[in-house]
Amino acid sequence: MSYYLIAPQITVAGFAVAVIMLDLFVKQKRLLPIVSVVGLLGGLGASIALWGQTETGFTNVLSVDRLAIFFSVIFCGAAALVVLASRDYVRNNFSRFEGEYYALIMLSVVGMMFLAAARDLIAIYVSLELVGISLYILAAFGRDGKSSEAGLKYLLLGGVASAVLIYGMAVVFGITGQTSLAGIYQAVAAAGLGLDNGMLLLGVVFIIAGFGFKIASIPFQMWVPDVYEGAPTTVTAFLSVASKAAGFVVLIRIFLEAFGQDLAIVSGWAMIFAVLAVLSMTIGNVAAIVQTNIKRMLGYSSIAQAGYLMVGLAAVSKTIGAGVTDPEVLFGPTGLLFYIGCYGFANLGVFIAVIAISNKIKSDSIADYAGIGHRAPVIALAMSICLVSLIGLPPAAGFLAKFYLFNTAVHHGLTWLVVIAVLNTAISAYYYFRVVKVAWFGTSTSQEAVPSGWGLRFALGISVAGVLVLFFYPSGVLDIARSAAEAVSGIALSAP
Amino acid sequence: MAVDIAFWILAAIAVVSAVAVVTLRDVFRAAIFLILCFFTTAGIFVTLNADFLAAMQVLVYIGAVAILLIFAILFTRDVQQGNPSNKLKVPAAIVGVVLLGVMVSSAVTFGWPESVYLPELADTADIGQRLFSENGYVVPVQIAGLMLLAAAIGAIVLMREK
Amino acid sequence: MSVGVEHYLVLSAILFVIGMFGALTKQNSVVILMCIELMLNAANIVLVAFSRFLVPGTVLIDGHVFVIFVMVVAAAEAAVGLAIIMALYRTRKTSDATEINLMKG
Repeated sequence: MSYYLIAPQITVAGFAVAVIMLDLFVKQKRLLPIVSVVGLLGGLGASIALWGQTETGFTNVLSVDRLAIFFSVIFCGAAALVVLASRDYVRNNFSRFEGEYYALIMLSVVGMMFLAAARDLIAIYVSLELVGISLYILAAFGRDGKSSEAGLKYLLLGGVASAVLIYGMAVVFGITGQTSLAGIYQAVAAAGLGLDNGMLLLGVVFIIAGFGFKIASIPFQMWVPDVYEGAPTTVTAFLSVASKAAGFVVLIRIFLEAFGQDLAIVSGWAMIFAVLAVLSMTIGNVAAIVQTNIKRMLGYSSIAQAGYLMVGLAAVSKTIGAGVTDPEVLFGPTGLLFYIGCYGFANLGVFIAVIAISNKIKSDSIADYAGIGHRAPVIALAMSICLVSLIGLPPAAGFLAKFYLFNTAVHHGLTWLVVIAVLNTAISAYYYFRVVKVAWFGTSTSQEAVPSGWGLRFALGISVAGVLVLFFYPSGVLDIARSAAEAVSGIALSAP
Repeated sequence: MAVDIAFWILAAIAVVSAVAVVTLRDVFRAAIFLILCFFTTAGIFVTLNADFLAAMQVLVYIGAVAILLIFAILFTRDVQQGNPSNKLKVPAAIVGVVLLGVMVSSAVTFGWPESVYLPELADTADIGQRLFSENGYVVPVQIAGLMLLAAAIGAIVLMREK
Repeated sequence: MSVGVEHYLVLSAILFVIGMFGALTKQNSVVILMCIELMLNAANIVLVAFSRFLVPGTVLIDGHVFVIFVMVVAAAEAAVGLAIIMALYRTRKTSDATEINLMKG
């Protein structure tokens, strides 16, 4: 038995328990975030050490391939940045439960890492619920009315989504008699089923609905604005990056490993994702324009970003099917992976800046950001760069990510989708730039500087550095993304 | 056949009690009907040769989940008597009926294997083997353990005074 | 016609849709939680029915294992849900303490 394959998960889970214990016995609460970051970096290092190993391990339940490792690194990295940025916020808002806060973030990271590696419906479901339950609690962690309401809404809608998901999984299990993705792939291929079969379509749609909730796609986005606004800002930051990435890794894995039989099935579900992408981008961007609360605005923006990301799931049709063996064909999930990396850095950067500013001004209203550029030039500059990256303009990573993703989509004959996406990018520029404008050209009532701890400044620096480095030197990360995406495309490509 | 008759009776009770859960005005009575629905589900599991799951159903759903829900109702009962609906009743009902039609028609037309009489029960030892063997689901069991840890931490944090 | 897998599927579809209707239209959060349990129950019936009927003559154990995990998750979710409802009740203590509208985004 190869337990070393889950060393990253074991490391992070062990540190999560250690943090709770330390919280009980140690007076120096300063240690807690440090220990948490050490644990998360340990998980990150252990993941990287597993890169390139060939043993899949745990027969049909887990497969620690490059896709899983790529996402494990994203989860650990995002959580480490959030923990670094959390210290002052946690002190101010829930100092009594510091240990529990860090432990729950780490437990949800463990769930996400299992989710990235799971290739069995049961393992996927249980890991998803580990992520879900940790995040429900974290959303309610502020324990004022708004935060509790956010947590409750998140839990109830998450419960509905997971019930729909489990029904979809049950239907797929019923059609195939298998719970492992590989078994489902073979059973569906052997029975010669397609998405014109009502039962299989029902299962697929229910599974998309269940994960559509996690990635905040329209029409499963009802929770986003309230939860983003009501949850503690640090939790929202974590949610907006890690939880979304977790949803996407499972979608990539389920659909490419279990439903990549032939071109008919693939173009069927790719079309579903294309339609959801259009809806999410358009509705998310239009709704974001009228928001006055920055967390709500970023909530709608994250719905729109989920739309752009789904373009990567729509652009898969050409890599599968007879005769296509050209390794140079652009593969949608490669673009998706690169985009998630860029989106992660940029969105975390914006949220860390929001945390720093709200620590001082105690407000999330965009109007109160007036003149922040003069009170905290470094933070405002960092936030502006990250917002520019979210729009997708140079010199930020978002530009290349969008370029690569849309280019891939054009190669797959999705020009109409790209036209809509580019139009949406133009709409989104309006509300992102509005924040930049208010921050630099608004007049503030106060001239007080905005203080920030070293951890927060460090995390913000890393985010901005990530955004810039991925723009100037993208090739290394693109190669890594390509080989991670090929871990699943290999199965699809080998199809007859 | 006795199993068939049992199925029809249990199915009728399950549907009626589920309707009662969403229509009754008194939340406490709705919870009682939910328990009835859980019991009939346990009975349905018995008709499906799954006695162990039937016992689990009674223990977990009725012994834990339903009791928790009743606690929640009793704690908040002084302020909460009604069971109102939001304004989306009609569109939700239409969507529900359409969804039901799609689900039923695709289920009926699929062409499932012939049902044959099955005398023996699912072996509980097999379930245990499958759950805890290294070729089975031992990793999901560990993940479920972590999930219960997270839930326990969360329940304590959220319920304690600030 | 003897009872086969279709009958169980139809029964569970009815329970599932009733649960979903309740979850999306009710305002009392405890009732919504109950409706979610109904939906999970419906999914469990599907899983057990498939385990019984899919391969004539034997019982598929994987479906039963799946049901056990669903039960564990349902219990954990109910516990956390209750905790959040109580926290909310404590901060509000008004007549709409447990009311929530899920469809309003």
